[in-house]
Amino acid sequence: MEHATTVAIEPAADRRPPPLAEHLDSDTTRAAMLIQQEVLGAARTYLRGEGFVEMLPPVIGPVTDPGARGSKQVDVDYYGHKYKVMSSGILYKQASLLTFDKIFYVAPNVRAEPVETCNTQRHLAEFHQIDVEMAHGTRADSMRIAEGLLTYVVRHALTAVPEQFELLGRDPLAFAWLLSGPFGVLSHREAVDELHLLGHPQSPDAEIAWTGEELLSRQKDRPFFVTDYPKGSRGFYDRESTTEPGRLRNFDLLAPEGYGELVSGSERESDYATIVTRMRETGENPAKYRWYLDVMRQGVPRSAGFGMGLERLIRFLTGLDAVWQVNAYPKVPGEMAP
Amino acid sequence: MRAAGFPEEQVRARALNGTAEAFPPVESYGHEVFGARAFGDERPADELDAARLVPPVFMPLRLEKLIDLGREPLQSDVDLATTVGGFSSALPVFLSAFGSTRIGSSEVSVAASRQAGALGIPMVIGENVVPVTGYRQEPDATTGMLARVRAYLDEAGPSLGGVVVQQSTEDADAEVWNLVYSDPAAEPLLASGRLGFELKVGQGAKPGLGGLTVLDRATAARVSDQFAIDDLWSGAGVLRSGSPGTFTDEILRQQIRFMRNNFPRARIWVKLHPGRDVAQAAACAWEAGADAVTVDGAEGGTGWAPRAFLDHVGLPLAECLRRIGTPSGCLLATGRVWEGVRAVKALALGATAVGLGRAALTAVDADPEHGLRRLVECLAFEVRLLTSALGKYTPAALGSEDVWFPGRTGAADPAPRHRESLT
Repeated sequence: MEHATTVAIEPAADRRPPPLAEHLDSDTTRAAMLIQQEVLGAARTYLRGEGFVEMLPPVIGPVTDPGARGSKQVDVDYYGHKYKVMSSGILYKQASLLTFDKIFYVAPNVRAEPVETCNTQRHLAEFHQIDVEMAHGTRADSMRIAEGLLTYVVRHALTAVPEQFELLGRDPLAFAWLLSGPFGVLSHREAVDELHLLGHPQSPDAEIAWTGEELLSRQKDRPFFVTDYPKGSRGFYDRESTTEPGRLRNFDLLAPEGYGELVSGSERESDYATIVTRMRETGENPAKYRWYLDVMRQGVPRSAGFGMGLERLIRFLTGLDAVWQVNAYPKVPGEMAP
Repeated sequence: MRAAGFPEEQVRARALNGTAEAFPPVESYGHEVFGARAFGDERPADELDAARLVPPVFMPLRLEKLIDLGREPLQSDVDLATTVGGFSSALPVFLSAFGSTRIGSSEVSVAASRQAGALGIPMVIGENVVPVTGYRQEPDATTGMLARVRAYLDEAGPSLGGVVVQQSTEDADAEVWNLVYSDPAAEPLLASGRLGFELKVGQGAKPGLGGLTVLDRATAARVSDQFAIDDLWSGAGVLRSGSPGTFTDEILRQQIRFMRNNFPRARIWVKLHPGRDVAQAAACAWEAGADAVTVDGAEGGTGWAPRAFLDHVGLPLAECLRRIGTPSGCLLATGRVWEGVRAVKALALGATAVGLGRAALTAVDADPEHGLRRLVECLAFEVRLLTSALGKYTPAALGSEDVWFPGRTGAADPAPRHRESLT
């Protein structure tokens, strides 16, 4: 296989994926896949080195992560029962701590995202996460692993396949700051203040909107954490602070240069009564979650963990315009694709 | 369809004859004299019906309007356009959800949607529509949620009105909101800022209870793990009771925030049953960012309810409005509203708009194509007439001084004043 020294990369911002055959046969896709392969290998090496055991995630179940931000779960008919395709493996991750104290998945997820997200360049209806959970872990532990993982895979990929970065015209200097020191930490409240100072509207009670997140990310030259999201912006499994009610013990890790969120993580609620109450606060019917609540009632260890969006990570690494360019079979929200 | 205990004949007459029904028969003009009780001696159905609108003699706001117009104002100068729960509305009126009546999910409801669109008023689509009738069905389906949305948009102007989709605890399983929000078919509503979601906390007809439906035995067996099933009618069907869902102030606050977080382009409405803590619940909802709170008086409801609940459970609308006092957000009132007087009383007591439930159903049952439009036109005519009689020219100017409750001392303030001046 011969590669041109540089690939003429068409800006993706205003266009959608080409027909699948053309996409699969493109040098851009090939380069992205070779970088992805290095990232997956390095992620496994790093996490196993930290004592994590890889498990394989379920694909369907009676319930899945109720998620947030308006996405729709996908139903399947399972022997006459309505089952869900996993929108994330969070419920199973917690349960799996009964097997090992530290586990991870490379998990496929499906979310019928609102059609408006097809323009964010950061959403796919079908995507993958590197899903990590650790028993007895704190948020700080979880942030340390997320930072270590990101740093490790970036360093590895740059060393292993420098020619692919060159091919895509991605300057390794873009990662110099990332590799040179610890990531910054910003509370949600500080992030909101910063957005207000930039003249950008942002509700203090809600998730940071896509545009705000991108704006914030453009101000930074290395990845940074945002912590302490308000209750009402995340699922029932993110633990609420005992010292600061209304705040969650969670975090996002955002890439710089406008790439935005790569990771969402948190300490988890593991107390049965609190989980039931939190389910109601997020509008969920606890009866749906019987298997999960039964497990929680029996008791699982307190834990913390995160999910790192694989395609978003690869997009950040490759510097490509849109996340669909780094998925071999991209499904942009609202569009019918193979 | 029957609507017992409801002025069904009058509503049907309005659905057929429109604004003419605001007056005695025109043939009697010049031949008969009329006075109070000229049309029967029916006792008022509740405290709000018993109350009277009390125009003052001195009308400073009419003077303001006179100066503004350079001529004496008339009832046609009353401007009824207003903002209802974040939507621009031609009238201080909206179409309530039709509940689980069979007619509420039939083609008649599609005709009602078309008329609501043409009238430029918001429309609420009931929680049960998706679980019962389905969402998408066939592309050219004539019932169901999408058919109603399409009918509404076909007739609506480019900016007036809005469509509000209800969801309650028991149909959270159907993920109605996520379904709508992620559907390309909802994009015209989102793009024009005319999609809303209503969290149904409860309803007036059966405060504290969830949905009640009668099912055949086989269907009931299928859902028995999710609902309480009572075999009451020896073979005629079984009663299926859903849960109303558990709320505390923190649960309500967080559910509203979660809705705002997940559906940032949608307006958020909350529907409350007439609970004794209705003022506290409404304040909690507004504080959490709800665009509207609907209070459904115990007189309300299109739903089928146990006899025990029809006359004995929940606060009447007048008492709900009294407890809420001056609302800190957009308050919507429903419960036995069908004509202009009750509407003006509710508006004067703090509501921004009134919802038509049973009345709208009865009207479209009488004339599917034009019944709702005629009913609402007659109501709007009366609201203009009454508002101007009170010396006011917008619904927002109405205030508690405009209403007098018999037997209540100091209920109506003799001094004319603007609601905004109340502190």
